[in-house]
Amino acid sequence: MTYAIETHALTKRYGSNSALEGLDLAVETGSVFGMIGPNGAGKTTAMRLLLDIIRPTSGSATVLGKSPIAGGAALRRDIGFLPGELLLEGRITGRSLLKHYAAISGPVAPGRIDALSERLGLDITRHVRTLSKGNKQKLGLVQAFMHEPKLLVLDEPTSGLDPLVQQEFLSMVREAQHNGQTVFLSSHVLSEIQNAADQVAVLRNGTVVKVGDVASLRASAIRRVVIDFTDAAADDIRTALIALPQLDNLTVTAGDVVHVTGTVEGHIDALVKAIASFHVVDLRVEEQDLESSVIDLYSNEATK
Amino acid sequence: MSQPTSASFLPLTRRNLADSWRGLLGWTAGVAGAIFLYVPLYSSFSGENAGFDEVIKSIPEGLSSTLGFEDLTSGAGYVQATFLGLIGFVLFTIAATLWSSAAIAGDEESGSLELTLAHGVSRVQIMVERSLGVMLRLLWLSIVSALLILALNDSSGIDLEPAHVVAGCAALLGLGVLAASFGLAVGAITGRRAFASAAAAGISLLGYILNSLGNQSADVEWLHSLSPYHWAFGNSPLSEGVDGGSLGLIFGISAVVLALGGVVFNRRDVSA
Repeated sequence: MTYAIETHALTKRYGSNSALEGLDLAVETGSVFGMIGPNGAGKTTAMRLLLDIIRPTSGSATVLGKSPIAGGAALRRDIGFLPGELLLEGRITGRSLLKHYAAISGPVAPGRIDALSERLGLDITRHVRTLSKGNKQKLGLVQAFMHEPKLLVLDEPTSGLDPLVQQEFLSMVREAQHNGQTVFLSSHVLSEIQNAADQVAVLRNGTVVKVGDVASLRASAIRRVVIDFTDAAADDIRTALIALPQLDNLTVTAGDVVHVTGTVEGHIDALVKAIASFHVVDLRVEEQDLESSVIDLYSNEATK
Repeated sequence: MSQPTSASFLPLTRRNLADSWRGLLGWTAGVAGAIFLYVPLYSSFSGENAGFDEVIKSIPEGLSSTLGFEDLTSGAGYVQATFLGLIGFVLFTIAATLWSSAAIAGDEESGSLELTLAHGVSRVQIMVERSLGVMLRLLWLSIVSALLILALNDSSGIDLEPAHVVAGCAALLGLGVLAASFGLAVGAITGRRAFASAAAAGISLLGYILNSLGNQSADVEWLHSLSPYHWAFGNSPLSEGVDGGSLGLIFGISAVVLALGGVVFNRRDVSA
């Protein structure tokens, strides 16, 4: 198995401030790898280290088999990068700017710039400074994808894009993967990772707190349950449920209909068996999205 | 495989020039304006019988020597005092300061340098090509200066040797290049536009002040040896011709400063 990106104990400190603390990542060649975490978790720092825009304090990184420093300009021709904060200025048309970036990156096939721009609905005849944030983001995506690089490093790629364009972006990611390209992307909008990534690393305070595929992250997710009972005493129900170790945040509201809420971590089998002896009017198990479950993960980590 | 758009010759320099041609047009007009304003006045003010010499003598000696106004009666002295040593020097210094501080530090502060660096270019290439872009623009201004002075040579009566005009404008270019080198290098080292501007304008101002102080008396004349301004103009290139040693010193220091800037730039982090 080969890895497009490997990092070992990658660390970046600014004075006593640690932006990245011992990051270990392995991104398989040809995969779509997502990195999620709150602002300041180190996502952008990690990407800028991979592009040799900044240099590590300690630890090592390998990108397409080379260290970013030793690989230099030749290595970066094989990478398409979208920065997290894309600032485009100047009295220059989108087309001229893209041609300039094409001149300093890998070879761009004829017609590719137009095809990508059309696909994202970007008018490249306009001056870049007059473009909206979303359109600048589209231009950033075109310059990252246009030379069909072996590795795409995309920092918050869907920020500022409307939902339709986000869908188009996801299909571009899938096509890139189909071509054998590796995609490494970051987000704090987790729904984006959910749809695109094979593997997800969760970053917090500059280290990876969890790595897994979306399904396994989801399996460990926390579910919210809502159950309504009739013909039952609230106290009996409470006694039956409070013994379940998987059930947390239990509330029982007495009345004609006894209303019970709680959260379940892992399988709900024990809960279903415990309520089977009562008359259940309604049972709702709401899967939290990855976002909430990851936030739980952070808060669990924080309390440890 | 079809031959796609690929690496081209000096892509960063060409981008730098394409981004700045409007500004360069303005600077060209400014330099041309200064030359058209001052040089033709020579015949009416400073010709041998015009009496402008009397005006100069009425100015306190300290002030006239500070401004380099000792010799306004000759064409070479007049053009040196009005354009090369004063208004042209100021214009070249301001242009060099603005352009050199924008080339790397300004680009870094605006956040666009990051994306350029993420492409297939090295730090050294960025330093070399952007510096070249600034130097070519200064070269253009000095060529325009030389051509316009030569164009007015006969009609204004300044009566300069063409080779000396070139030598004078080369000296002016040298001072612009020196200032730009400090701006580029400090910008590349610190990434801060304010520091880059201070370095570029500072080296020009320092040279001017040392020269002026050195003019005041024989006791402090040694200050001339520290002044790039004096290196460039001390041997009166407009009347004596090119001073190869001084030009070599100025361009040599510029090259060393740029190389130092490039070395540090190649090692440091670039901020977002």
